[in-house]
Amino acid sequence: MLRYSILVEHWDLYMQGFGHTIKASVLALIGSLALGTIIAIFRIAPIRPLNWVGTAYVEFIRNIPLVLIVFVFFMGLPAVGIRFDSFTAGTLGLMVYTAAFIAEAIRSGIQAVPKGQMEAARSSGLTYLQAMRYVILPQAVKIVIPPLGNQFINLVKNSSVLGVIAGLDLMYYGDLISSKTFVTFDVYIFVALFYLVLTIPLSLGVGYLERRLLKAR
Amino acid sequence: MIYFHQVNKYYGDFHVLKDINLTINQGEVVVIIGPSGSGKSTLVRCINRLETISSGELIVDGVKVNDKHININELRRNIGMVFQHFNLYPHMTVLQNITLAPRKVLGMSEKEANEIAMYYLEKVGIPDKANAYPSALSGGQQQRVAIARGLAMKPKIMLFDEPTSALDPETIGEVLDVMKQLAKEGMTMVVVTHEMGFAREVADRIVFMDQGRILEEAPPEEFFAAPKEERARVFLSRILNH
Repeated sequence: MLRYSILVEHWDLYMQGFGHTIKASVLALIGSLALGTIIAIFRIAPIRPLNWVGTAYVEFIRNIPLVLIVFVFFMGLPAVGIRFDSFTAGTLGLMVYTAAFIAEAIRSGIQAVPKGQMEAARSSGLTYLQAMRYVILPQAVKIVIPPLGNQFINLVKNSSVLGVIAGLDLMYYGDLISSKTFVTFDVYIFVALFYLVLTIPLSLGVGYLERRLLKAR
Repeated sequence: MIYFHQVNKYYGDFHVLKDINLTINQGEVVVIIGPSGSGKSTLVRCINRLETISSGELIVDGVKVNDKHININELRRNIGMVFQHFNLYPHMTVLQNITLAPRKVLGMSEKEANEIAMYYLEKVGIPDKANAYPSALSGGQQQRVAIARGLAMKPKIMLFDEPTSALDPETIGEVLDVMKQLAKEGMTMVVVTHEMGFAREVADRIVFMDQGRILEEAPPEEFFAAPKEERARVFLSRILNH
């Protein structure tokens, strides 16, 4: 039987962690969406040097473990005089890491729009940016929603990396409560439930959005 | 109006267009025929620079198409293009499809653009579909919308790249009728097609291509009665006697 007393007695600590996990996820989500969109545009814009920058970013970042990227922000940058607290370092690492995956999702969404769409738009005299804005991106959004939703769910779960550098998130407080009470199983079950409170509505929300966008066609 | 002089084009090692020389005058309807892979579509797509040429000279409406310093968007707004697969914007209504370029390129007001769109929708015979989405239309209707979309920019030239090849046999006629009407009104048209009846009836000139070369250029009466080139004779006998 699960020991609910653990949850009740350490409710404040759980809430602290829950709050930080939400905060880190939301900040990293906004940041990685913006950064990922820019990187995606870099990758497909008809300008070679930008393509290289975009490709280098994606290939470099997504092929390194997340925890190492977080270490760079937490321990690497302080070595050159840039200092963050552990929460900020963890959130920045999470954002930079997720941006690489979001860039790929957006890029493949844009490229999944049939080539004839760009040709029709350009041959009517629209500029590249106008064609992107009015013709390509509105269609790409529908294609991108499901993979983007997956990335957001991953992001929430990946925020547990903050625990590794004492980033005050759910995982960190889970460790703390466990070392205070010498209870492991029950403590982490509650941690897992808190993650589910975030990810299941997110998952359902993405599914709902997907169905609505399909209907709008 | 359109002037090709010694134009060559390569895709890597593949020589798609070979020493193309062709002049198309204002108000002329030129139909390009030939086997698939002969470079017909590529030739047409060079005219508005959807494809770039590798060498030679191509002048359209007084503009050197492949000059880096020209404003390609300015040239393109005067050249309408109709594609094999219509390429309507699926997320927009018929009206929005037609008014996008007039509004964003020519800076028309929504009201003005809508009036023009309705005028051309009447002309192609489907004003009642103005608020429908492309997915709700038949192939023939979609292609007529695509023609209206091209015309709404009041172009000097209309390019047609196999406009009926993706259509049900039943709806081909309605698209060809619109094109015939357009030809009668004096539009300069370059048409890639396999519709020999249309070519015979409407074209001022037939251009026959094979393996990247223009092999023969003649008025339709002459071309269909007695093609000079052996390759053209073989092509015609295959396409007409099946």
